[in-house]
Amino acid sequence: MEAATRLYYRYFPEKLLGEVLSKRWSDNFVPAFAVLLVIGFFLARDPGFFSLASLTETSRQLAEFSIVVVAMGIVLLAGGLDLSVGSVFALANITALICMNLLGWPVWATAAATLAVGALCGAVNGFLIGYLRIRAFLTTLVTLIIIRSIVDIILLRYAVAISAVFPDSDFWFFLGEGNLLGLPVSFLVAIAVIVIWHVVLTRARFGWHLTAVGGGRRSAYNAGLNVKRTVFLTYVWSGALAAGAGLFFAARLGSAGSDTGVGLEIAALTAAVLGGNSLGGGRGSVAKSVLGAIVVLILTDSMVRIGISGGISSAILGGVLLLVVAIDVRWLKNRHKILNKVYVSPSYFKLPDMPETDAGSGSPYALNDRLRSVSLIGQGEIEGPEDVIFDRADNLYCPNRHGDIVRFFGPDYKKWEIFAHIGGHPLGMAFDRDDNLNVCVGGMGLYRITPDRKVEKLTDETNRSFLSVIDDSRLKLADDLDIAPDGRIFFSEATIRYDMHDWAYDALESRGNGRLICYDPRDGATRTVLRNLQFPNGVCMAGDGESFLFAETWGCRINRYWFEGQKKGRCETVVPNLPGYPDNINRASDGNFWVALVGMRSPALDLALRKPGLRKRMATRIAKDEWLFPNINTGCVLKFTPQGKVLESMWDLGGVNHPMVTSMREHKGYLYLGGLYNDRIGRLALDGADPDWTSQDFYWGGKNGSR
Amino acid sequence: MGLVEFVADTASRLVGGRGRSSITVPVMDGPLKPNDILENAPVELEYAGVDNLLVTDEDLFFSSGNRVLRKEPKYEPEIYAQFEGEIMSLAAGPDGSLAIGLDKGGVVVRARDGSQRCHINAETANCPTAIAFIDADTLVVCNGSRKTGAQDWQRDLLELGRSGTVLRVDIATDRTRELAGDLAYPSGICLTPDGAIVLSEAWRHRLLRLPADGGKPEPVLADLPAYPGRIRPAGDGGYWLAAFAVRSQLQEFVLSEDGYRKLMMAEVEPDYWIAPALSSGHSFKEPLQAGGVIRLGIHKPWAPTRSYGLVILLDGDFAPVASAHSRAGGRHHGVTAVEDIDGNLLVAARGAGRLLKLETRSLKAISDIAGGENAL
Repeated sequence: MEAATRLYYRYFPEKLLGEVLSKRWSDNFVPAFAVLLVIGFFLARDPGFFSLASLTETSRQLAEFSIVVVAMGIVLLAGGLDLSVGSVFALANITALICMNLLGWPVWATAAATLAVGALCGAVNGFLIGYLRIRAFLTTLVTLIIIRSIVDIILLRYAVAISAVFPDSDFWFFLGEGNLLGLPVSFLVAIAVIVIWHVVLTRARFGWHLTAVGGGRRSAYNAGLNVKRTVFLTYVWSGALAAGAGLFFAARLGSAGSDTGVGLEIAALTAAVLGGNSLGGGRGSVAKSVLGAIVVLILTDSMVRIGISGGISSAILGGVLLLVVAIDVRWLKNRHKILNKVYVSPSYFKLPDMPETDAGSGSPYALNDRLRSVSLIGQGEIEGPEDVIFDRADNLYCPNRHGDIVRFFGPDYKKWEIFAHIGGHPLGMAFDRDDNLNVCVGGMGLYRITPDRKVEKLTDETNRSFLSVIDDSRLKLADDLDIAPDGRIFFSEATIRYDMHDWAYDALESRGNGRLICYDPRDGATRTVLRNLQFPNGVCMAGDGESFLFAETWGCRINRYWFEGQKKGRCETVVPNLPGYPDNINRASDGNFWVALVGMRSPALDLALRKPGLRKRMATRIAKDEWLFPNINTGCVLKFTPQGKVLESMWDLGGVNHPMVTSMREHKGYLYLGGLYNDRIGRLALDGADPDWTSQDFYWGGKNGSR
Repeated sequence: MGLVEFVADTASRLVGGRGRSSITVPVMDGPLKPNDILENAPVELEYAGVDNLLVTDEDLFFSSGNRVLRKEPKYEPEIYAQFEGEIMSLAAGPDGSLAIGLDKGGVVVRARDGSQRCHINAETANCPTAIAFIDADTLVVCNGSRKTGAQDWQRDLLELGRSGTVLRVDIATDRTRELAGDLAYPSGICLTPDGAIVLSEAWRHRLLRLPADGGKPEPVLADLPAYPGRIRPAGDGGYWLAAFAVRSQLQEFVLSEDGYRKLMMAEVEPDYWIAPALSSGHSFKEPLQAGGVIRLGIHKPWAPTRSYGLVILLDGDFAPVASAHSRAGGRHHGVTAVEDIDGNLLVAARGAGRLLKLETRSLKAISDIAGGENAL
């Protein structure tokens, strides 16, 4: 039974569900499914619909309609609504016909005039809504009526005249009925429009501004965007695009009918919302609009074909609009809830039995009170010193949760200052040969602070893996680092699935979500060197110049990875089955290594790791604060040999002085302790340690000397 | 369960816990609004395992392990009696008799002179969690569980124990009669002025009223956020309810997870189970919940916790009016016994091994503020 569980969680990609749902494009599944459904249904009812002639005709209609829907989508994305697209469409139709038939203008002038008329209508809308802040619904409803009236007045005077004349232009007919590469011209133009707008909305500044304004007007304003102008422009574009569609309509039919474009706004709105563009703004894409347009067009066309009368088909369309608006509201409201429920995706993990930790058991992990006698630095003044490090002048540096690097002045460490501000949550730190402070910043990446306090970004992305659904090129949680003698920086990224403040929830998954990354300052390249690690954490050079040690926190083990030499590329476990969760690793003065255990294993959680289904249900059914959790209230410090033998442990029973230990640094006979959730740094005198030893001098050589 | 119900139940389990599969724990609010009264209460006596308070004319009796101790004011406690098994419950009769419930040892009744009046064997009452005298010759006894004893109450909870009984004992004839069965760990008992029996059913988080000669139990107070234990009369017509632990969502969740529950009982030491406890925080091997993580040196008092200190004041109709708490990270956890004397409340916080003295005026003042119409 347990073997089956293990195999299932090993090979079945359950986590993909949550990852896919966290993508914005997952909204498209429902409309895409609707497309297939509608096509399938009408294919079964009426195979003739899909004949070549019919498809060509349909694709011309689709071209015009989808341009209008794209226009509607743009306005919706910025949080607006344009009901006047139908009237603008009609006005464009009549404008084009007047220019061609009555005025005898060439096609290019006709097109320019038509688009200009559309843009002007849009500009009126945009001015009223964007600059005068009148409600979009009311404004466009009024312009719908006014423009429609104008169309009717023009029709009254010129309809007969237009019908009487036949424009003498091959290009005009080519525009309306010609084919290019076997496809209708208007269809190709529509595809071009779609592609261009897709690029604009997803890649260009204007598109991002649109999304920002639609997503949160106030935030966009506070971010410095010109909200009024952006809103104004969406209506201008909407008018121009609707006019473009009207132009093709004029070229195709050449009719000055009074019902041109009637009800188009409802059809376009239905299509846009059906496709997944949110009525509330901020969520939408061109792809969504096109999908919606296909569904609505096939629906209306097919209803005509199978003989549903106009009134009923309008009612059906209205019903569809109501339905999709309801779905839109519910989906928007519940999407993050569903995501919350399915994102946590535990896997099977069985740890060996926990080693003995009882006091007096003779085990190297036996409980003791050696950390109780620590003296405290900066108690209550600092928040979240994950790591501690010293410069050559014995000043102490630690990060805090506000994104600063704090410097305590030696030798008594009473006074402190903000050395530099980076942002994010700085975690592991290391000095390089030139006394630059290199810092892993949770949420940001790898940064460097020069001795004169200049903050420089080294890297914040790595190569994206081929089949990863979530974007794993960004560094989410760079954790700890060390620097090879040749200057290459090896650092760990603990997890690619959780952000800084949710790091411990990764324990519930106990899957290899983390990786080791190498930044090479010589060419500025960043490369992932090892994947699928269980929360890789502390990194420390082994001292041979070709390998380093790193901790896998949830895996409760310490590994060694060779990046150079004969064993290059190999990874071996050095210390398996720790009684707790290892964090940072650092050098000790006697040639051994220190490792901090950030928390301890508890039997109930160890057992739960063998029950992925249990953890999954726990994550969906009970509140986050109630989840079973790794015990990170108790920690300890271990010393181990390069061969992996654990020599001793130092504990603070009850966690009075030091509830959590995430790192420790030996410096001139003392051990300094940091903790991610602590408000203090601990300082412990080490018996028999070299009082002059510093990690900096040991690794990089003396002040002026080289190695 | 009918087929329709079964299908509906299975469906609601699968879609993420609805209906009976939903995991909800009532919040502590209104009269149960958390405070630090119990945590700050003065310590009267430190004695490991203090439990089962009993007040006679001038002396205070309590139990610890297999001993009954007597404490006179201003003196150290002295051993009054000693038994073979652990003492689970104590009660004093109107004639000065003493009834002692023993873990896997039945109930012994002793007259004032020390002679044994009656002994109910362990088969009938292997887990006598609470005893009350109806009159000098009649007892009612809560037997928590047929299967497990005093040390194993957590196991009984995790095994979804429903084997508790209430027994009526005629001391003169040694005859017992079962007044109610299939109870989920009855753990406290008390008589009302109209002669009915009120008992607390811990695993179902409620108080039940039972006619003195048996019959169908009716809930008088349900949906408690805690596991209710002993009930004692308060001075002015109300009652004190000692709750020995609080419920948590994780706990209820684990109770619904059969596979994990059984594996945990089989493979993990009882001290480290996901189970309520009388005291906690002794070992890092105890399960921790996310809210219990210490941040910047502070253990949040709202954190989910394995142990808790809670005493609830009920009015004459068993509606809560006030409460005293020792919250997460506190010491005065695991209250197993309370006794009202002269306007003060003696509280045995067994989890802390402490006897506390609470001024009941302070609690009643809270009840006046919290709910005027419910106040005594």
